[in-house]
Amino acid sequence: MTTQIGFASAPAQARIVRPSVLQQIWSSRADYLYVLPAIIVMLIVIAYPIYYTIDLSFFETPPGLQLRDKNFVGLENYATILSSNVFWRVTLNTVIWTFASTLIAFVLGYAAALALHRDFAGRAVLRAILIIPWVISAVAASYIWKWMYHSDFGILGAVMVQMGLVDQQPNFIDNVHTVLPSLIVVNIWREFPFAMIMIMAGLQTVPEQLLRAAKVDGASTWQRFWHVTFPYLSGVSTVTILLLAVANFNSFIIPWIMTGGGPSNASHIWITHIYELAFGRQRWGVASAYSVLLFIILMALGYFYVRALSGNEKKEHGA
Amino acid sequence: MLVYTALPMIWMLLTSIKSGFAAMQFPPQWWPSEPTLASYQKLLDPQNSVGQDFLRFFWNSLFVSVCTTIMAVVVAVPAAYAFSRFSFPGRKFLFFAVLLRNMFPAVIFLVPLFILMRVLGLVNTHGSLILTYLTFGLPLAIWLLKGFYDNIPVQLEQAARIDGATRFQAFLLIVMPLSAPGIIATAIYSFIGAWNEYIYAATFLTRNDQLTLPVGIQRFFSENTTDFPGLMAASFMMSVPVVVLFLVLQKYFVRALTEGAVKH
Repeated sequence: MTTQIGFASAPAQARIVRPSVLQQIWSSRADYLYVLPAIIVMLIVIAYPIYYTIDLSFFETPPGLQLRDKNFVGLENYATILSSNVFWRVTLNTVIWTFASTLIAFVLGYAAALALHRDFAGRAVLRAILIIPWVISAVAASYIWKWMYHSDFGILGAVMVQMGLVDQQPNFIDNVHTVLPSLIVVNIWREFPFAMIMIMAGLQTVPEQLLRAAKVDGASTWQRFWHVTFPYLSGVSTVTILLLAVANFNSFIIPWIMTGGGPSNASHIWITHIYELAFGRQRWGVASAYSVLLFIILMALGYFYVRALSGNEKKEHGA
Repeated sequence: MLVYTALPMIWMLLTSIKSGFAAMQFPPQWWPSEPTLASYQKLLDPQNSVGQDFLRFFWNSLFVSVCTTIMAVVVAVPAAYAFSRFSFPGRKFLFFAVLLRNMFPAVIFLVPLFILMRVLGLVNTHGSLILTYLTFGLPLAIWLLKGFYDNIPVQLEQAARIDGATRFQAFLLIVMPLSAPGIIATAIYSFIGAWNEYIYAATFLTRNDQLTLPVGIQRFFSENTTDFPGLMAASFMMSVPVVVLFLVLQKYFVRALTEGAVKH
């Protein structure tokens, strides 16, 4: 960070007598003009909603967002959440969903990046095709897969029947036991390209000399990967996994459009559950309390994210 | 992996050129026996009600996405530049606060923003979406652009200032042109994000003629769910703009996305 300080920083004499914070702020007042529009937008649409959500989580509210009639109930909303069975079901779903999606998408993306790193004819085309699922809208993706999973005319079930794997068309997303894995397959389809892009960019920074030297020393392809490439990519891998984990934890569209959380909550994750509580059942207070809990979890994840990012920066500038 | 990636997209295209009857056969026809563009004709025909709706949703999406993109770039460029070059107090804190926004899901902001939009009288207007999309568009834009500015040597601006340019002139005349690829990438990213957004659009807009594509398609097909060729054709049409934009400019896009996360 320090190497990036602008050329217009404090004059030389200021270093002897350290100016107070207020003086510093005043002397760099012109700098703030550049960030002011961004700060104003962020304050209105981010800081205010966060404050409001925390506030609302201590109230019971009538349906219809008639918020003048809200009642202060203290921590009751939080107690309601923690004592409900749905909470634990949804939490377990969220954990499975987040871990499975993140891990498999990362491994698949990593493998694809390694494969695409070699030079071969049609590489650029193949890469573009593999990235497309990540670019198209999740709503379109949900419809495509819903159609493929269709219990009467879906192509996936038809293939399984014709191969003799099952007797009749399976109910992929209408079945309590298969719905979550089925949705995870869709989610991974959409997300592994992101891991692929990140790892491909990382691979370009691995020094060729290092790999050649290892080869001269007699290291096998696997050994070169495990002892050179893999450790070299640890930084970008951490960031990628964290970004994937956050994105998965926060996913909404795929479960919501494909199943709406059903059947019997089997595919509800936190986000879809909060949405249903708020806009389906109009329980704004409970939904807000959920959001606050979510917020706390995400802050913890954010701590690791920021640490991983600044770790990268330190390496970058310390070199 | 290619099969996993490509099959759903191929199946979408094949279904979209089937007749409604052909799509409802078991076992499915692998290749449509009588391919037809009827679904596309219906969507693009302003004479019938389906086409009218679809085209209106399409323009709404385009309008909202373009406005969001312009605003995100205009606000993010100076902010990213400041985060990259200046050292005002609170700079680090503000930058990480910006980054942290990327971690929060839309749902958390939904209720308060809905109420805020009601207070501002923006419910049922595209303005509510444009303003809201900035909440996730801006942090990303700032992050992407800062990565670009960090890689532009400070000496270039110093040289310009020795030649008599003000700091703002140096920024405008030297740094801006050099960061054009970053600005393009940021614009694409904002556009795709806005184009694909669903949850705010589903909440803030209730009047049918204002819906954007993701929501419009959902409302539209929840009424007649059996028209799978139509649904697949609509999904395809919805994907075309972002995929074309992405394929044409992917060089900038991928570079920008990975700039911040990968050390050089």
